[in-house]
Amino acid sequence: MLALGIRGKLLAVASVFLLVPWLGYEYINELERFLRRAQDDSLLATAQAVATALHDRPQLFAAASDTPLESVRDVLDQVAANDPGRAPSPSAHAEAIGEIQQILRGLERATSQIWVLDRAQHVRARTGSLRPPDSDSPVLLKLFDRPLDWIEAAVLSPLYRMILEQPREDFVDDAPPVYGREIETALSGVRAAGTRQTPDGHASVAFAVAPVWAGDKVQGVVVTEQTTNSVLKQRNLAFERLLGLLLLVVVLGAVLLFVFASRLGKRIRALRDDARAAVDAEGRVVHPFAGSSSPDELGDLAREFAAVLRRLADHTHYREHLASRLSHELRTPIAMIRSSLDNLQSTVSGPEGLVYVDRAHQGLSRLNFIFDAMSEATRLESAIDNTAREPFDLREVVAGCVEGYRTIYPDSRLVASLSPGPVPMLGSPDLIAQMLDKLIANAVEFASRDSVVEVSLAQAAPSGRMTVLTVANTGLPLPDGMQSRLFDSMVSVRASASGSPHLGLGLYIVRLIAEFHHGSARIENSADGCGVVATISLPSVA
Amino acid sequence: MPRRIAIVEDEPAIRDNYADALKRHGYEVGTYPDRITATQAFTSRLPNLVLIDVGLGSEIDGGFTLCRDLRAMSPTLPLIFLTARDSDFDVVSGLRMGADDYVPKTVSLPNLIARIAALFRRADLANSPATAEDLLLRGPLSIDLKRMIVRWNSQPIELTLTELWMIHALARYPGHVKDRDALMRDANIVVDDGTITSHVKRIRRKFQVADPKFDAIETVYGMGYRWRSSAE
Repeated sequence: MLALGIRGKLLAVASVFLLVPWLGYEYINELERFLRRAQDDSLLATAQAVATALHDRPQLFAAASDTPLESVRDVLDQVAANDPGRAPSPSAHAEAIGEIQQILRGLERATSQIWVLDRAQHVRARTGSLRPPDSDSPVLLKLFDRPLDWIEAAVLSPLYRMILEQPREDFVDDAPPVYGREIETALSGVRAAGTRQTPDGHASVAFAVAPVWAGDKVQGVVVTEQTTNSVLKQRNLAFERLLGLLLLVVVLGAVLLFVFASRLGKRIRALRDDARAAVDAEGRVVHPFAGSSSPDELGDLAREFAAVLRRLADHTHYREHLASRLSHELRTPIAMIRSSLDNLQSTVSGPEGLVYVDRAHQGLSRLNFIFDAMSEATRLESAIDNTAREPFDLREVVAGCVEGYRTIYPDSRLVASLSPGPVPMLGSPDLIAQMLDKLIANAVEFASRDSVVEVSLAQAAPSGRMTVLTVANTGLPLPDGMQSRLFDSMVSVRASASGSPHLGLGLYIVRLIAEFHHGSARIENSADGCGVVATISLPSVA
Repeated sequence: MPRRIAIVEDEPAIRDNYADALKRHGYEVGTYPDRITATQAFTSRLPNLVLIDVGLGSEIDGGFTLCRDLRAMSPTLPLIFLTARDSDFDVVSGLRMGADDYVPKTVSLPNLIARIAALFRRADLANSPATAEDLLLRGPLSIDLKRMIVRWNSQPIELTLTELWMIHALARYPGHVKDRDALMRDANIVVDDGTITSHVKRIRRKFQVADPKFDAIETVYGMGYRWRSSAE
C-alpha cells in the first residue's frame, strides 16, 4: 500500500511531462505559421517578379481592354495551343497573350500557379498547376525508417490523423481567381497576399497579388497561387517526428520512474518490516537490524535504525543483567566482611562483642540472599541455553509441586484443579517447577488472609493444543498499566514494607521459562476484580 | 610438621583474613597476589593444599591457568577454587579442571576450614586400605566418605567435595525425600536453590558418563530429591 502510494505519487508528479507533447504541438504550430509566412513571402516575391517583367509594356494589356470577358476555358485553350503556327487568329490580343505566356513559362514551378489578369480582371494568361507532379514524394519521410514502424502504423498514425490536418491532393480548382478585395487592392497599386479555400474545400491555397505598372498606371495584376499542402506536409512530418521522440522519452521516463519508485517502495517496505520485527511487544530487541550498505538516505535511515536498536538492545541487556553484575561486583566486599567477621568471632571475647558479630552476620546473610536472588535470573538464562528438552508429564510436576507447597506454606489454602489425564509436554520439568515456585510464592504473598490460592491446569478449549496453567489468588488487584510490564526484569508492584526484600525478578523468570517452552505468560486482574490471575499458556505435545 | 596451604587471591583483605583463620587452625600459610608469583613459588616447593581465586587481577581466568599448571606438577595436590562469579561453577565443572572443590567467596570460614580438613583427611587415608565400616553401599553405588571415593558398578566417579557430600546425604536414606534446605545443610552448600538444581544436574551427568541408564537420583517436584530405593 505504501509502495503503491509512492509509485502513484511519483507517477502523478511525472504526468507533468505529458505537457511536453502539448508544448511540441504548440511549437509545431508556430513553425507552421512561420512556414506559411515564408510561403506568402515567396509567392509575393514571385508575383512581384512576374509583375516586374510585365511592367511598362502597355501593349500586352492594350488589346484586352475592349475584348469581352473570356472564359477560363478559352484562355486555357489558348495556353495549350501556344503554337504560333496554329494560332487561332493573328490578332494583337493573341500575340499579347502569347508573349505573357512566354514570360511566364520561364517562371513555371511545380506547385505554384500564376495568373495574369488585366484591369477588368480578365484572365490574360495562366501557367503552372496547384498540383504537385506525381513523383514528388516527400523525401523527408525516408528518414523515418524506424524499428517501431508498426507502432507508428497502429497507434500513432490514427492519432496524428486525429490531431493534424492532413493535406489532400484530391481538390478540384479550375476556376480563375476571384478575390475581389485583394485584386482591388492590387489594382490600386498595393501588393496583397492571402489564403483561400478551393471551391470544394479540400485544400487551402495561399496566394499573392502584385500590380503590373505601365508608367504610373496599374495595367493589370499578377496572381501567384500555391496550395499549403507542402507546408502542411512539412509540419506534419516535423510533428510526427517530434511526437514520436517525445512519446518515446515520456514512456521511457515513466517506466524508469516506475521501476525506481518500485525499488524505493520495496526498500522502504523492507525497512518497515524490519523495524516492525525488531522490537517485540515488551520493547525487547528480538531481531537486530542488519543495517545497510547503500550510501543513500534510505541506507542512512537503516543504519540509524540499526544504531538506535543496538543502543536499545544494549540498554535492555544492561537492565536485565544489572542485577547479576551488581551481585558479582558486591560479592568480593561481602567476602571481605564475612571473613573479617569470622575472624573477629574467633578472637573476640565476652558476650557483648559476640552479640554484635551475630547481628553483623544476620545482616550479611540477608545481603547474601538478595544477591542470590539478583543473580538467579542470569543464572537461569544461561541454564536455559544449556537445557535439553525432555518429554514429561506436566500434570505430575504440577501435582507434586502443589503437594510440596502445602508443607512450605502451611498457612495458605492451596486448591488444585488439574485435568484428569496426563499432559505430555516437551521441556524441562525442573524449569517448570522453578516457574511454579515463583508463581505460588507471588500468589501466596498477595493473597488476602484465609483466602484460597487456586492452581488449575486445563487444555485450552478449542484446539486442545495449548495447555493453560493458571494460578489465582484473591487480594488487591494490580495497578493499571503494570500488567504487561510485570514480566520485565526488576519491575515490582510490591508495597515496600513487606519483610523480605524483593527485586521484581520472579515474574521475569516466569516469563523466561514460559518462553523456553514456546508458551506465553500474562497476569491480570480476575474478572470479578477482587484478585489476580496469572495465566501460562504452553503448547502441549500431541 | 604443619601442613602448608597456599592462598592465591588478588584481594589483600580476603587473602589476609583467610590466612589468619588458617594460621589459627595450625596451618602454615603462604599468600600470593597473582599467578606469576604463585607459579614461581610452587616451582621451588609445592604446598599441601591450594586455594585459588578464579579471577586474578587482570587475568580473568588466571586461576584456571594456574590450576592446569599445578595439575601438571602434581595430580593429587588438593585444590579448592574460590569464585565470585556464578558462571564459574559451570566453567570449572565443564572444563574438568581437576579441582577438588569450588566454593563461592562468600563461604563462611568455618565451612571453608571444614572442607580443607576433609581434603587433608582424604590425602592422609589415600594409601591406607578401606575398611568395611567406612563404606556406604547402595546397590551399584559405594561411597568411601573418608577417602572420598565414589564408585558406580565398581567404576570410580570423580566428584568434587560438594558433590560427594550431596550424594552421600541422598544415598544414606534411600527413598527419603531430601528437600533443598536439608541438602544444603548436609553438603555445606552456602548458596541458593538454583545452585542445588545445577549441582544435582552435574552429578547426574557425571554418573551418566559411566552408566547412560543412571536414574537413581529422583526429582520430587516441589519438595526435593531422593535416592531411588528401587536401585537397591
